[in-house]
Amino acid sequence: MTTEYEDRIEKAARSLRTEISPERDLWPGIAEAIAEPERSRWTPLLAQAAAVILLVGGSSAITYMTVKNDVQPVTEVTPNLVFERASFGNHNLGPGFQDARDGLAVELDAELARLSPAARAEVDANLEVIHKAIVEINAALEQDPGNTMLQQKLLQAYREELSMLRRVSGLTRNVMVRNDI
Amino acid sequence: MMNRLTLILLGCLLAWPVMAEDVDRRLDAAADGYVHVSNTSGSVTVRGWSRDEVEVSGTLGRNVEELVFERKGNKVTIKVKLPKGSSRSSDADLRISVPAMSSIDIGTISADIDVADVSGFQSLHTVSGDITSESAGGDVTAEAVSGDIDIVGGGQDSQFQANSVSGDVSFFRASGTLEAETVTGDLVADEGSFDRADLNSVNGEILFLSELRKGGRLTIETVNGEVGVEFSNEVSARFDIESFNGDIDNCFGPEAVRTSRYSPGTELSFQHGSGDGRVTISTMNGDISVCVD
Repeated sequence: MTTEYEDRIEKAARSLRTEISPERDLWPGIAEAIAEPERSRWTPLLAQAAAVILLVGGSSAITYMTVKNDVQPVTEVTPNLVFERASFGNHNLGPGFQDARDGLAVELDAELARLSPAARAEVDANLEVIHKAIVEINAALEQDPGNTMLQQKLLQAYREELSMLRRVSGLTRNVMVRNDI
Repeated sequence: MMNRLTLILLGCLLAWPVMAEDVDRRLDAAADGYVHVSNTSGSVTVRGWSRDEVEVSGTLGRNVEELVFERKGNKVTIKVKLPKGSSRSSDADLRISVPAMSSIDIGTISADIDVADVSGFQSLHTVSGDITSESAGGDVTAEAVSGDIDIVGGGQDSQFQANSVSGDVSFFRASGTLEAETVTGDLVADEGSFDRADLNSVNGEILFLSELRKGGRLTIETVNGEVGVEFSNEVSARFDIESFNGDIDNCFGPEAVRTSRYSPGTELSFQHGSGDGRVTISTMNGDISVCVD
């Protein structure tokens, strides 16, 4: 049974065509494809770069268009106060410092008016010493602007001036109030 | 006879205002209370004693209106009261004894202040008088405009703080921490021993002739004043010394080097010993000398 079935299959297989021709001639297309030059592998990279540039440029343009109406003009604020001696090298010290110094100087004047002429002269002379030191340090800083020690000395001299104004006015006021003068 | 009597009466009337009044008063006080003293001119001398009392003696000038002497709780107030607006001479010389553990606060205009044997906190202020304090262990703060300040330590570590504008400031055998500042007055710390010392002057000279303890910090700054440091111990510290125009003379460590092409100033940085302490000295025009005794 089995042998008879196999013989019949084999006979049918032998009767099949061993070659199948295409419905049309493919060779002219293949020959044309072989003859074309090879495409550059850089072409996709350039395309990608162009895409990135286009994307960044486009987004920047959109951002600029969006915010351009919100940009405030930069204005320079000039302090109303006039700075005289309170300067740091070529730069003025802040208005807070100036206010503090002016306020203490007014207090000191009021307190010193109640002291003896000798005590007043002593305080004035020492304030002058500090001012002279400030001038000297500034002059040295003009020679050597980057000298950090001189910068610290200048700040220290200003601190010393404030400290002296505060100390003297506080001391005289405190003692006088306590003595009911 | 009438003329003679008239002259005597007139003499008594003229003599009356210049006569000073003696005072001698006493109050019970807390052993470790607070004594507040105000006097315009003259002198204030305070001594600690073993009694729980405050005693005031001395003389009051002719224009003194009243000596306020009162106790409220732990606080005793001694105040030389003058007539309002008085500008005439009103010297009062007060000798005050207080319990030794008291804290004191003294304010004067042109009166000298002298304190000793008081172990509490001392707060001493004058405009043109001199201040002398001998601490018996408490902290001391002293301020003057033109007066000199002399403070002697009491053998215990304390905080010492002194400021004078034109007066000289000196510390003798003080120990602990020290802060002092002048404009034109000189500063001296002699035979002391410190964990920290900050000395600052614009034009005054500064002398540190004391011990800087292990891990201690010494900072000295002047503009025009000279600086002399002589450690009384073998100091171990990192040194940073600089003068813009002055010379640096040191008897240990390397030589100072010139750092600026704009000035003859010199700079010196080095480590001595294990370098656990810190010494920083700077001047603009003053010379600096650093040595070990």
